Amino acid sequence: MLKFLFRRLVILFAALLVVSILAFLIPYVSGPEPAQMIMHARVSDLAVDPDTIAALRVQLGLDRPLAVQYLDWLGNAIRGDFGFTFTDRLPVSVHIKYAFVVSITLALSALILALVVALPLGAIAALKPAGKFDNAITFLTQILVAIPEYWLAPMATLVFAVYLQWLPSAGWTGPEHVILPALALALRPMAYFTRVMRASMIDVLEAPYITAALSRGLGLGQTIWRHGVRNAMTPVITLFAMWLSGLIGGAVVIEVIFSIPGMGRLLYEAVVNKDLPVIQGTIMCLVSFAVLMSTITDFIYVLINPAVRIKDASA
Amino acid sequence: MLQPNPTPAMVRPRSNTARGLRKMIRQTLYILGTRHWSFTAGVSIFLAVICALILAPWIAPYDPDAQELLHRLSVPSSRYWLGTDQLGRDVLSRLLIGGRFSVSVAAMVMVISATFGTIVGVICARRAGGMVDEVIMRTVDLLIAFPDVLVALVIIALIGPGSMTLILSLTVVAWTPFARMARSLTLEINSKDYITAAEVLGCSRFFIVFRHVIPNVYRPLSALTFLRFSHKLITVGALSFLGLGVQPPKSDWGAMLADALRFVDRAPLLAFAPGFAIFITALAVTLIGQGLEIEDKSKKAKEKSYKDVEPSAKVMKGPNS
Repeated sequence: MLKFLFRRLVILFAALLVVSILAFLIPYVSGPEPAQMIMHARVSDLAVDPDTIAALRVQLGLDRPLAVQYLDWLGNAIRGDFGFTFTDRLPVSVHIKYAFVVSITLALSALILALVVALPLGAIAALKPAGKFDNAITFLTQILVAIPEYWLAPMATLVFAVYLQWLPSAGWTGPEHVILPALALALRPMAYFTRVMRASMIDVLEAPYITAALSRGLGLGQTIWRHGVRNAMTPVITLFAMWLSGLIGGAVVIEVIFSIPGMGRLLYEAVVNKDLPVIQGTIMCLVSFAVLMSTITDFIYVLINPAVRIKDASA
Repeated sequence: MLQPNPTPAMVRPRSNTARGLRKMIRQTLYILGTRHWSFTAGVSIFLAVICALILAPWIAPYDPDAQELLHRLSVPSSRYWLGTDQLGRDVLSRLLIGGRFSVSVAAMVMVISATFGTIVGVICARRAGGMVDEVIMRTVDLLIAFPDVLVALVIIALIGPGSMTLILSLTVVAWTPFARMARSLTLEINSKDYITAAEVLGCSRFFIVFRHVIPNVYRPLSALTFLRFSHKLITVGALSFLGLGVQPPKSDWGAMLADALRFVDRAPLLAFAPGFAIFITALAVTLIGQGLEIEDKSKKAKEKSYKDVEPSAKVMKGPNS
């Protein structure tokens, strides 16, 4: 089992390295040469003396071979230094740190909301497959999956912020600002969690230990809670971790609609402004987080499910 | 999708096209009626949407770009069924024409990524446990959770917007679930006796793949195609919403929604209509996918009850397959 995890880890870090090379190459494949772009960002004057650009190129070490530059860049990147932005000349890391905290707050609140609704829904649906509740819940998940969040969010804003004036329509200054965006983001994961919970609960309920618990005289509710839900939750936890790394940067549209200063909006604005260091930094940060989450998920999976360990040891 | 229905009516020579057409419609309806309700409902809505979009240039009541500045932001009336936008353009006509972009781009992405993903998955299953398989599957693991909007954003930033860029950038992520599913399905089939029999008989790999593997995996994979289709449709809309998908003067549902939001306090319906169009199309495709999935599962369950279940079916499945 340890060997399996180690192999996985090595490959994931190799993937991270490949992504870092791609991210490093972004300034070289998009438009004019990097020194010229940096100069342009500094003085915002297109007609700069070529000698000045050449001097800057030497000063920043951009005349060295690409491989040397890459190692230099990677060394800085590992320490969290992605240089300065083109737009406001602040360190990229300052922007990313702030945006990351905002995004993780938003993503976690959306996912916890999704989980709280999805677990009971999935469990109820699994009690009687193809029954009345199951069909209703399945149809509900289909609707949740099909709703574009950038349509629901403005409509919800219109109702709750403009007409009823219960919640703020945009911004990020207090806990009340989390509610609407988190709700809009929660719909899709809610549907997926419900489906996975339902499928895994159906499997669990067929297991002999459920019959055993029931025949020992344990009540239905107790059985489902103690033996059913706990065992059925494993795949949902895996999915939760996957969605967490997905939602950190994947909430672009919602962050733009509600003007939330998260990772998605950071990257979107960097793309619109052609702010290359920010694009590089954001990509590296998001991919590293995805790799980290994937590794943690593997470990958790092994920790909470002894069956995996035993099965692999015997195989 | 539609299976031939061997009724005696099919054998009789058709006297004229009208009668043939009527018969075809009747048979289609008959087949639809025998399928799972979710599939039937989905196909009906989806066919209606597709027909409307294909016939759009002929059935649109107005030119989608014709501006009627005296009738700006008007409410729905008998003259403008869904009202007009900020430049007095007919919303219904714009919806019909704009939908062609959204749906066709999403469909292209699905066709390309389903084909590519399936091929990759089948190859990986053939080399399960090897280096190629390991590398490709870890790539899939990493990409599958990665938000496709982000990948598309970066690629569009590098090579500029356009429908080709859009298709390419969405396919980069979209093939991964197909590869993973095709791989695990193929592994399951490869452990069956009839594959061993075919190998012993000396059938070539290609023959086995096309004769035994593909016919057995295409049902669940087509269900997955429809289920992912709705997601892609929403993502295409999202990118157009951000101004990175369709480029002016062309417009699609996402771009219409973004435009309409500036006037949402005065004309809420203007913002409601394009979003609802995305929603209903996405819902239709999801229903089709769900129906196919349920049918596939119940078919498998029936097969299982006929003969004894092979206990060795899970041998090749690791914790990560």
